[in-house]
Amino acid sequence: MSEAAIRITGMNKYYGRFQVLRDINLDVGSGERIVICGPSGSGKSTLIRCINRLEEHQQGRIDVLGTELNDDIGNIDHIRRDVGMVFQHFNLFPHLTVLENCTLAPTLARKIPAEEAEATAMTYLERVRIPEQASKFPGQLSGGQQQRVAIARALCMKPKILLFDEPTSALDPEMIKEVLDVMVELASDGMTMLCVTHEMGFARQVADRVIFMDKGEIVEQGRPAELFDNPKNERTRTFLSQVLSH
Amino acid sequence: MTAVSDMNTPRQTLNVGFRPDGLATRLRRRYFRTPANALISLLGMAALLYLAYHALDWAVLKAVWSSPDGTSAVCRDIAGACWAVIQQRWRIIIFGLFPYDEQWRSMLACVVMVVTIVLSCLPWFWKPLRLSILWCAGFIIFYVLMRGGLFGMRAVMPADWGGLTLTVFLYAAGVLIGMPMAIAMALLRRSEMPLVSRMTGALIDGVRSLPLVTILFTAALIFPFVLPDWLQGDKIWRVIIGFALFFAAYQAEIIRSGIQSIPVGQEEAAKALGLSYWQRTGRIMLPQAFRNALPPTINQLVITFKETSLIVIIGFFDILASGNAAYGTGEWSFAYFEVYIFVALVYFVFVFSLSRYGAYLERRMRFGQH
Repeated sequence: MSEAAIRITGMNKYYGRFQVLRDINLDVGSGERIVICGPSGSGKSTLIRCINRLEEHQQGRIDVLGTELNDDIGNIDHIRRDVGMVFQHFNLFPHLTVLENCTLAPTLARKIPAEEAEATAMTYLERVRIPEQASKFPGQLSGGQQQRVAIARALCMKPKILLFDEPTSALDPEMIKEVLDVMVELASDGMTMLCVTHEMGFARQVADRVIFMDKGEIVEQGRPAELFDNPKNERTRTFLSQVLSH
Repeated sequence: MTAVSDMNTPRQTLNVGFRPDGLATRLRRRYFRTPANALISLLGMAALLYLAYHALDWAVLKAVWSSPDGTSAVCRDIAGACWAVIQQRWRIIIFGLFPYDEQWRSMLACVVMVVTIVLSCLPWFWKPLRLSILWCAGFIIFYVLMRGGLFGMRAVMPADWGGLTLTVFLYAAGVLIGMPMAIAMALLRRSEMPLVSRMTGALIDGVRSLPLVTILFTAALIFPFVLPDWLQGDKIWRVIIGFALFFAAYQAEIIRSGIQSIPVGQEEAAKALGLSYWQRTGRIMLPQAFRNALPPTINQLVITFKETSLIVIIGFFDILASGNAAYGTGEWSFAYFEVYIFVALVYFVFVFSLSRYGAYLERRMRFGQH
């Protein structure tokens, strides 16, 4: 793990008067794979949405790939191209085919020629094992297939960091595995990943570090084995007992 | 890319094992299920046939189609429709006050405008460059033909344009100028800058609170006093701008409703991919907004076509006003009914085509939706 891909220092975020994130300090090394877990409403999603500035923070400092996130808009688009995001509800563009979903941003934002973008898109669609669906529309695919397309779409921008916001939470149980398999494969490629998820098996298998959040704070963090088998904080223990009991 | 071409199309296996009933079975089931049912059906059909016969009798069987001597004498003692009025006066209805010898120009210009409209309805033209070229060419040819003063054609001032040609031109120009205005207004009203969004909101609400007649009146008669000479332009252009503004105020709200029905995740996903505001707007938001807002948009386009007839109050002879002129000469004044039916038929052809086109678009776009 070389220089920090993401560095968050003393960050606070409010919705009006309500504080959603409290004094967040987090360094993510390049190539590091981090899983963020915690009860709902703990600020996990908000935290990773601050990293590509879908949410703005009010205090503290966030540096992503060596650039500070502030109100400079051109700056933000530039950083977003290097930070891919996969959403809970996929958010594929319903009026574009699977292939167009994957080529739109590379051709528009990265100015890659159409043919090259299509070739890249097909490569990634093959990697997520869905190339035969390229000319379909998202509405014709299952949830699991849509989420795999969403992952391919993010990869087509060749991002340096990938953010996953509960990527399997909206899926039917039998589709969770196909998406997790793709994510495990990505993790073994050395992509910097931050993943909000409740899939503890996935966390154990791929995470370098697991972060437990509650009430807008980072409560505890460590290697998955340490945190799962030997949690130090009471809140972590309570949460884990609830998640792992079934 | 070749690997994907042999995909199976979805929903194709839906009807396996289901054989639709024949026509006779369906008729029996729907109209003759019980004796009472059958009686009502028969009575209804008899009434319809009776009415249809009377209409046919008047409109076709007892009708007079032409007047060999050019006067209304042929229609004096008939029980049917006097279509001779159309045969004699159709040029006034279609071309208005346009000089008689030059009416081929108006005819050609009208065809050019209709062809331009029809072509821009074809998906092949849905590229910004192609559409711009098409419409620029369409308007230039139209304007040169109508205005004249070039290539040895006599100059005809817009005040003498009229009939169907004027109606189609006013509509096309109004919608073409109004649509970008509507998009701009919808986007500005959603601006994060409160001053911009409030001012746009005030403009939209202001225009919507005024009757179209007032706006046309202001554009035609009051602006000449208010604006400097170089900004006035011809009356027809001021009227078109006023007409476009009125259309835009309504259409802006339709587009805005289309934008608002797009899930938030769409814009977030576009942002997360690093697309700029204009890329997000042009490629993600507006295409989806127009799909969502297609039925009310067609609605608005239909209403707008019929509203063109209001320009008569500022002295332009659109097709309806020209129709009035066509029977208003005394000689044909008894035949107003036939003239109105003819004008109504013209409106119907345009508006019904528009509705069918809207239905086609909906079918075409349904595929790419959830």
